[in-house]
Amino acid sequence: MRILMFTWEFPPLISGGLGTACYGIVKGLLKKGIEVDLVLPTREEVYFPLRKVSDVDDLPVKFISPAKEIEYTSTVFKDSTERYSYIGISSVPESYISVTEVQTFYEYFKNFTEKFEYKSRIPFNEVLNNIMGSENIFEKVKEFTFRAQRYARILEYDLIHAHDWLTYPAGIIAKTVSGKKLICHIHATEFDRAGGAGDERIHKIEYSGMTEADSVIAVSKYTAEMVISRYSIDTGKINVVHNAHNINIQESEDKKRIFKDPVVLFLGRITLQKGPDYFLEAARIILSRYPKVRFVMAGAGDMETKIVHKSAKYRLKNRFLFTGFLNAAHVAEMFLSSDIYVLSSVSEPFGIAPLEAMSYGLATIISKQSGVAEVINNAIKIDFWDVKLLAEQIIRLIEDPAYRKDLGEKGRHEVEQIKWDRACDEIIKVYKKTAGR
Amino acid sequence: MINLVFYFQVHQPYRIRNFSVLDIGKHSDCFDDKLNGEVMRKVANKCYLPTNKLLLQLIDKFEGKFKVSFSITGTAIEQFRKYAPEVLYSFRDLAKTNCVEFLGETYYHSLSFLYDKNEFLEQVRMHKAAIQKEFGFSPITFRNTELIYQDSLSDYIWEEEGFKVILTEGVDRILDWRSPLYAYKDWSKNLYMLLKFYSLSDDIAFRFSNKGWVEYPLTVDKFVKWILDLNLIEKGKKNLFLNLFMDYETFGEHQWEETGIFEFMKHLPEKALRSRKIEFSWPSDVLEKTNYQPESISFPEPVSWADIERDLSAWRENDMQYNALETFYELLPRIKASGKADLIEAARKLSTSDHFYYMSTKYFQDGDVHKYFSPYGSPEAGYRNFMNAITDLEEKI
Repeated sequence: MRILMFTWEFPPLISGGLGTACYGIVKGLLKKGIEVDLVLPTREEVYFPLRKVSDVDDLPVKFISPAKEIEYTSTVFKDSTERYSYIGISSVPESYISVTEVQTFYEYFKNFTEKFEYKSRIPFNEVLNNIMGSENIFEKVKEFTFRAQRYARILEYDLIHAHDWLTYPAGIIAKTVSGKKLICHIHATEFDRAGGAGDERIHKIEYSGMTEADSVIAVSKYTAEMVISRYSIDTGKINVVHNAHNINIQESEDKKRIFKDPVVLFLGRITLQKGPDYFLEAARIILSRYPKVRFVMAGAGDMETKIVHKSAKYRLKNRFLFTGFLNAAHVAEMFLSSDIYVLSSVSEPFGIAPLEAMSYGLATIISKQSGVAEVINNAIKIDFWDVKLLAEQIIRLIEDPAYRKDLGEKGRHEVEQIKWDRACDEIIKVYKKTAGR
Repeated sequence: MINLVFYFQVHQPYRIRNFSVLDIGKHSDCFDDKLNGEVMRKVANKCYLPTNKLLLQLIDKFEGKFKVSFSITGTAIEQFRKYAPEVLYSFRDLAKTNCVEFLGETYYHSLSFLYDKNEFLEQVRMHKAAIQKEFGFSPITFRNTELIYQDSLSDYIWEEEGFKVILTEGVDRILDWRSPLYAYKDWSKNLYMLLKFYSLSDDIAFRFSNKGWVEYPLTVDKFVKWILDLNLIEKGKKNLFLNLFMDYETFGEHQWEETGIFEFMKHLPEKALRSRKIEFSWPSDVLEKTNYQPESISFPEPVSWADIERDLSAWRENDMQYNALETFYELLPRIKASGKADLIEAARKLSTSDHFYYMSTKYFQDGDVHKYFSPYGSPEAGYRNFMNAITDLEEKI
């Protein structure tokens, strides 16, 4: 079986949460003999013909235009970075950006630059232009969709698999051109990202993608319910396939402590969706009773400035620290040096990060408003808004190191079983069912 | 007679590199060696070396009639030695002319006066020792970081042997109807005080190259005329002190060579001296040249020479600045008690006021200046690096 797969992110080209999940899925599929023609938002019109497991890391490239393919194969690249830049792909995870965010920022900065008279104008204009670049995501989606019909006609495949709204229009076009069945995979809806209503245009795209799809895959029951209630999608074609994680650590990997005191970690984008403010409020309660704890907020995002100022306003001293943006290696290091992980999300379709935290043996607290809560038993589950309870649970873990260790160990064993192989078996079942329809 | 008192501030901080939580507890320190070296070499070439050369020529030419004063921080001296030793030699050459007064301040250009008296006095003594060692000069005039001053400062300084004069900003809200051109005494009448004449100082330091300024271009003739006009205030024979205090980096760095700032400075002494009504003086000359009983003046609230507010808000206004300062001064005694010399030295480098200045979020007008001087992308990034850096020291105790 061969799948034509559209996605917006794939590591190492773009490594956001969507990219992490797609990597796990594709690798799992390849292991089970499913071939994938992967299409990404590249500058050049190329696709990635993935046939064997190692291709998921090597990412072989094929050009749609035969002339360009000849030019490409005769070019020598120094390294993979040079090769990736030849085909042209952005390294910023764009699927995160919600359009309302972008527009508010755009207005804010425009207003701001007008008030500036002289030299500071230049950097602000640059910011403005970059924001315009992101606003142009609709242009990019348009271009991506436009190309889809060529991929759909030229390539040979059995099914179409599209990840999140950015690629749904491409999926629909490909389905129309080829007559093959379409599977729309929903990793997050606009409702999750925006923490409210969000952008009307994206709603329409999400709705039409799922309506046109022959099957829909949701990353959790939580998400499936959201899709059913918000978009009234036919329950019969919705399938829940939980995500898994890619972490494979050796038992021998030791903790790399940074701090003498226990470390409570928030790791993720610092945005409304992730509930960083609830984490901060809990920290404030805890530090008023237990000054000997370190809270680390790892990541970057549009709420970072607000949280930085608020943590300073609460005078949390140097007990509430920030890392700024972390790359993959730094994320691993951060997990290895922490004791307690908190997922405080307001709405989390799945949440791979807690699985990763647990595989590093961290005692983990997760928001009930998440998909991951459906698959995990050895974690403390709380409502994201219940800051008092969150604080109490963290204190309990700090006061009782034996309990903390026990929870961490049980969690580690539990997530060892949550592998992409199993998720992919489920996805293949959906493929077979859809193809036979 | 009007005494023209030039005091130039020479300072470079140790800038912090991008310092993440993950850098805490590792072997390396938090300072950006590469950036600090680059800045020092750039400013040395654009400002320190050419301006020192010019001043040396002027001092030679006027045979003692042209005098200036410098306050050079310990962190600047250390970085001269490390990145541009020729600058240190050229300051020594200036010292040998005996036409240069060196002022006392905190070695680390810190805000310790506001938080920790012992630390403040230790840093003042460290600085005094450094100036004696490098330039063979024992300071008798004191200026606190960024001309920060309030009544209690003069009491602290009076306790220190040797200081007789103190400098600060001529703030309108304190002076009220009084003129900054007269010599004053502090509130307990122990020390002489000289107050910065900010409009003429800022004409050189900030407005010199501003083409939108009605007085642009500022010529030597015009400037000397303004000075002579100031004389009209005094009907008797009292000596006046026109205190032109500014960053030394004004010459060639803030105001580039192309603006004509060096030419201005080159011709100012000749024109001024030719009037026979202007003399160049050191701040400490106030001790002999004050031919009247100075009034005492009280500063109940702290003032400084920074921003339009001329208060502490450049370093201590938003929550980040307060939290950073409070955390730092709570931690400092513990670091000192550890007795670990490397940690104490790093902590003191972090006491430099610039680190808190970078965290300022006062945007319009003044924020501009803050941004110009900041090595970080945002005040929050400055805060993050600073907090992680002091935590690194705490974890190493």
